[in-house]
Amino acid sequence: MSWFKLEKLKKIRVIVSLFFFIPISILFIDPRNNIPSSVTNIFVSLQVIPSLTKIFVYSGTATIGLIIVVGLTIAFGRVYCSTLCPLGTFQDIIIHIKKKIDRKKRFEYIKSPFFFHYSLLAAIIIFTVGGSLTLLNLLEPFSNYGRILTNTIEPITTFINNIIAGILGRYQYYYFYNIPLRDIGTSILISAFVFLGLLVYMSYYHGRLFCNSLCPAGALLGLISRFAFFKIIINKIACNDCGACEKVCKANCIESETKRIDFSACVGCFNCIKSCPTDGIIYSAARIKIPVKDSSEFNPTRRKFFKEMATPVIGLTLPGLANIDSAAVKSGYDANKKHPVTPPGSRSIQHFSNLCTACHLCVSTCPTQVLYPSFLDYGLAGIFQPKMNYDASYCNYECTVCSQICPSGAILPVDVEKKKLVQIGKSIFVKDDCVVVAKKKDCAACSEHCPTKAVYMVPYEGKLKIPEQNNDICIGCGACEHACPTTPRKAIYVSPNRVHLQAQKPKVQKQEKGFDSKQDFPF
Amino acid sequence: MDRRTFFKKSIATSLTVGSYLTFGKYDELFAYKPTPFDLVAIKGGEPDIMFDKGIEALGGMRTFVKKGQKVVVKPNIGWDVSPERAGNTNPKLVSRIIKHCFDAGAKEVYVVDHTCDEWQRCYINSGIERAVKDAGGNIAPGGSESYYHDVKIPHGKTLTSAKEHELIISADVFINVPILKNHSGANLTIAMKNLMGNVWDRKYWHRNDLHQCIADFATFRKPDLNIVDAYNVMKSNGPRGVSVEDVVTMKAQLISTDIVAVDTAAAKLFGMEPEDILYIKIAAEMKVGRMDLDKLNIKRITV
Repeated sequence: MSWFKLEKLKKIRVIVSLFFFIPISILFIDPRNNIPSSVTNIFVSLQVIPSLTKIFVYSGTATIGLIIVVGLTIAFGRVYCSTLCPLGTFQDIIIHIKKKIDRKKRFEYIKSPFFFHYSLLAAIIIFTVGGSLTLLNLLEPFSNYGRILTNTIEPITTFINNIIAGILGRYQYYYFYNIPLRDIGTSILISAFVFLGLLVYMSYYHGRLFCNSLCPAGALLGLISRFAFFKIIINKIACNDCGACEKVCKANCIESETKRIDFSACVGCFNCIKSCPTDGIIYSAARIKIPVKDSSEFNPTRRKFFKEMATPVIGLTLPGLANIDSAAVKSGYDANKKHPVTPPGSRSIQHFSNLCTACHLCVSTCPTQVLYPSFLDYGLAGIFQPKMNYDASYCNYECTVCSQICPSGAILPVDVEKKKLVQIGKSIFVKDDCVVVAKKKDCAACSEHCPTKAVYMVPYEGKLKIPEQNNDICIGCGACEHACPTTPRKAIYVSPNRVHLQAQKPKVQKQEKGFDSKQDFPF
Repeated sequence: MDRRTFFKKSIATSLTVGSYLTFGKYDELFAYKPTPFDLVAIKGGEPDIMFDKGIEALGGMRTFVKKGQKVVVKPNIGWDVSPERAGNTNPKLVSRIIKHCFDAGAKEVYVVDHTCDEWQRCYINSGIERAVKDAGGNIAPGGSESYYHDVKIPHGKTLTSAKEHELIISADVFINVPILKNHSGANLTIAMKNLMGNVWDRKYWHRNDLHQCIADFATFRKPDLNIVDAYNVMKSNGPRGVSVEDVVTMKAQLISTDIVAVDTAAAKLFGMEPEDILYIKIAAEMKVGRMDLDKLNIKRITV
């Protein structure tokens, strides 16, 4: 291949990775959500774990995305980890910064913790199939990246936006507008920072250790990449034993002494090719069998690290198998309210909780900010999964954005007209708390906001009118609950449907003609 | 002038203006020509044409807007519904009003509302954002508390303070452009009820006697002009409406500087007794304006 210089591969990898990293990051940190759903879909469909869960319930771009990723891996190895995975690129950025800070420190070959990694993958699969997404959600790279951005960076970009909006607003220039800061739970914030800290630590000191020890996507793709068509191998004739390749290998998978590469751990960054002064490293289609020797240096620090990691992870996950019924009951006035309300398209609490990898893309994108990341509202099995928060807002009648962009199939695509008939919950009216009863004054905020008029007003005492409901046409959007002005608790609220139901169509009655312009004015 | 002094000054100004208006020294303050009619009622035409005729009867927009002034137009943009659902003010009317303001010499025209549904979707799907931009006006955001600032309502009984949108506080001319609709809470929403979109915290109103609060806020700053869109009128399931079946075409419009008079006439047009709309009655008793239509000088126009 004289027309193509192999050392160009690194440059191509960097460009391709940024091509995916930047838009995916913008998806999560742009408080104005400028990227249209169709574009979002294309980018997220290439995320291997969410697409893998999605294809079990829905075929669409996710299926194509998954085929592309598997195809790429069969052909070129785990290039996914260095291009399509935003968490991979994020680690590369840290590794790059580290190179600038500490020029002397170099990587060296370490036998990848194969047994640990694949035991963990097996555990994740068993738990996930068993209905607990605790382990998957704690370790899935795309979702972790999404959670970090949504919960730590987006508030900052919103804040900056608001400063600009404030300054320009003084001159009555409103291209930038103030965006209310989303409420973020402390537990979510702490978890995002803990993961971020762990990731920065691991990548700074151990390169792509996360990808080769904890990442479920890395493990899955590693299984495929060992059969890859193109592989990086050391050309024993050209190699001059300088060891440069091993020093730049952030996946720690090149053992220059024995001229051996553990390609299942290779993340396809091509730094080794670039570093080689001769043609000692080649990217070859030839399937050369390399005997795998099982001798490796014993590394006490790393072993200790994994031991320490494993204990809390396993401890944390075991209760995750518990049924959702054991979810913490929020101190409410009605036991019905203990379950979270899930967005239209998610079919049931169980469907949602079994598929949501908690990437928080919906949280970040929801135009009304009604989607809110819960911590343990779905139980430990559904850690970090979002729910409808009617204190913050309500589900816009005409909006289906979350269903269009959900990468994992937890919220399935639903078109607007169908969505208007999906009943995610029912309104419950607490008469004694209502302004009309308590204060003998008109209010009707609930009925005003109700898009189907499932909440309507009927005569009460004197000229007063009081809400009444027809839950056959209620869709549980939460407009009534959000609008209800009573404090400290709402006189009307949505009780979730654990399995979403079909609402009846709102009643439509043709209005007889009113004032006609051919008549005289009635005054 | 920093932000704080700007607001202090604008609040002070609006308070002064407000009290002048309340005490009826309207003409003295602005040296406006008194309008030849108390109320103009127009029927039979398109919203924009009816407005042309109506404002002409009042001596043109120059009666209300002076050269170089800053005008704020407040339509009802409360809901994420399309124009034919009549949940929001007719965009053609809004556009024509802005054009008249510029023709009268307005320096800038802003359109703003504190919507109920998500504000950007309301602005876009109501057709009003497009209409405002096409007419050369500015549509301003109202979806965040940061735009709203404390104002005192000295004549309010229940509502004695509120947070009002900064553009409305600082406007030289404030034009109220409601749409006539059925309303589950207030029976009808017209001009006074539309002013609820000027403020941030509406829950306070709902919690503490809605009708009294609507009347209280009408004492604060009476709009320089009220234009009631009754072209398409939502007769049932208001204020959001469920379908186009709720809407009847009336092809009418009402214009007045008296917010109570215009609400009274609109209630009659709708087919209700104004006395049955509690806030209209309270506002008339509080001397915000007049309900006695038979004693008013009304110009009736058929297009």
